[in-house]
Amino acid sequence: MEIQPSRQSDDTDLRRAYVHLAEAQRLSQTGSFTWDFDRGELLWSEELCRIFEFDPATTITTDLVGQYVHPADLPAFVATLEGAAAGGDVDLPYRIVTASGALKHLHAVGHRIAHAAERPVIIGAVQDVTERKVAEEALNKARADLAHVARIATLSALTASIAHEVNQPLTSLVTNTSTCLRVLAADPPNLDLARTTAQRSIRDANRAADVISRLRAMFVRKEPAAEKVDLNAATAEVLALSSSELRSARIDVQTDFVHGLPVVRGDRIQLQQVILNLILNARDAMLNVDDRPRTLWITTAADGPAQIRLSVRDAGSGIAPEILGQLFDAFYTTKSEGMGIGLSISRSIVEAHEGRLWAASNEDGPGATFSVSIPCDVAGSTEAVSKDG
Amino acid sequence: MVKRKLVSVVDDDAFVREALPDLLRSFDLEAQPFSSAAEFLASESLDRTGCLVLDVTMPGMTGPELQLELAARRCDIPIVFITADADEGLGPKLLRRGAVAYLKKPFSEAAMIAAVNAALDSGTDVLCD
Repeated sequence: MEIQPSRQSDDTDLRRAYVHLAEAQRLSQTGSFTWDFDRGELLWSEELCRIFEFDPATTITTDLVGQYVHPADLPAFVATLEGAAAGGDVDLPYRIVTASGALKHLHAVGHRIAHAAERPVIIGAVQDVTERKVAEEALNKARADLAHVARIATLSALTASIAHEVNQPLTSLVTNTSTCLRVLAADPPNLDLARTTAQRSIRDANRAADVISRLRAMFVRKEPAAEKVDLNAATAEVLALSSSELRSARIDVQTDFVHGLPVVRGDRIQLQQVILNLILNARDAMLNVDDRPRTLWITTAADGPAQIRLSVRDAGSGIAPEILGQLFDAFYTTKSEGMGIGLSISRSIVEAHEGRLWAASNEDGPGATFSVSIPCDVAGSTEAVSKDG
Repeated sequence: MVKRKLVSVVDDDAFVREALPDLLRSFDLEAQPFSSAAEFLASESLDRTGCLVLDVTMPGMTGPELQLELAARRCDIPIVFITADADEGLGPKLLRRGAVAYLKKPFSEAAMIAAVNAALDSGTDVLCD
């Protein structure tokens, strides 16, 4: 009789604690388990059964669970179980495909409990992180979409250049072909000149095709790649593409590329997008310059033993100190037609390559310099330091 | 009076300088290429040129600038402009300044020959001042 109220109270507390725990598991979408390795006993909380879409009455075995683990994650799942049995901690992100066909991203953590020392018993928790994963993927996709839009916007600014670059080889192609037909039809036909102009036509067609493939490479959407990128060659390609844009703005381009620099690892197209953006910004910065040459300097050089630095220097009016801090903010722009995302996207691209992008006004003359420093392959480096002008 | 009959081609694109004179010669025209406005101005061909086929966008002096320079020198050489750029407003402006034709690259053989012949026919035999 004396014990009864206390027992009742204990039961109530236990029940309340259990309800609290179940509710917390439900809210946090986290299930828990204990796993008696030698006895093959696997005890799951209600929430864990719900995540796996198992009936709570199901007898759960590791084999049964294994059937629902995503095939690509199964080796890591099995290895973690084996490691846990041997005393290792569990910390495993993995995916399951439930009986209803739902793909879920789970994260399991667990460890062997000390007070069951005579045999391995593992206690752990499994959280359903699907929503977070889906949100992360949506964010990554949105970021990639924005980068793509920015690239198209940047390239749209090059339409005049593009027309020029394509029309130039087409002009000599059409002219050479016309000449070829005329000298063949002459009496007597001039076969030597016909042959020469036909060969020139092939060359011109190939030049036009080269321009198109350069453009396609920059316009076409693809997943970010991790390839070896020769920064000098990538920069030279961007300069070729923007040359008439720069020429019509009367920009004098000076390059100083250190040859034999190690390659950087990353996405060539994205890095070219950054370089193009910096070049077009430098051009825009000099459009109102009339009292000095509109010189654009592009240099590459080693930046310490494991980095390469690319600098784009203009002779514009420089950057006012008060805007230096906002320069890389999204939607910050000083241009009437600008979207203000070029530098923001550029910096995020460079940072995704574990590099840095920064700006400074020139100390030894008018204008500003934007610099990119990016890690390179140390193994592929050479000592050659020949230069061109 | 004998009209000046040389067709001078001024274009910074080496491939046009290579191709266009051959086409003009296949029409029995005399043609000579120049890589820049300055090279043309400095040449002895200036006085013999009855038609100037002139690229618009070039480093250094541009085609329209050469047109103004020739006008300033009272050098009445009929001009056929050629351009690979897509500036819609420029053509009418250059034609108002007296150009014979404004051809977009790539131009057809027929359009080029018609323009060049029109230019040669319109020219005077007055030399530059």
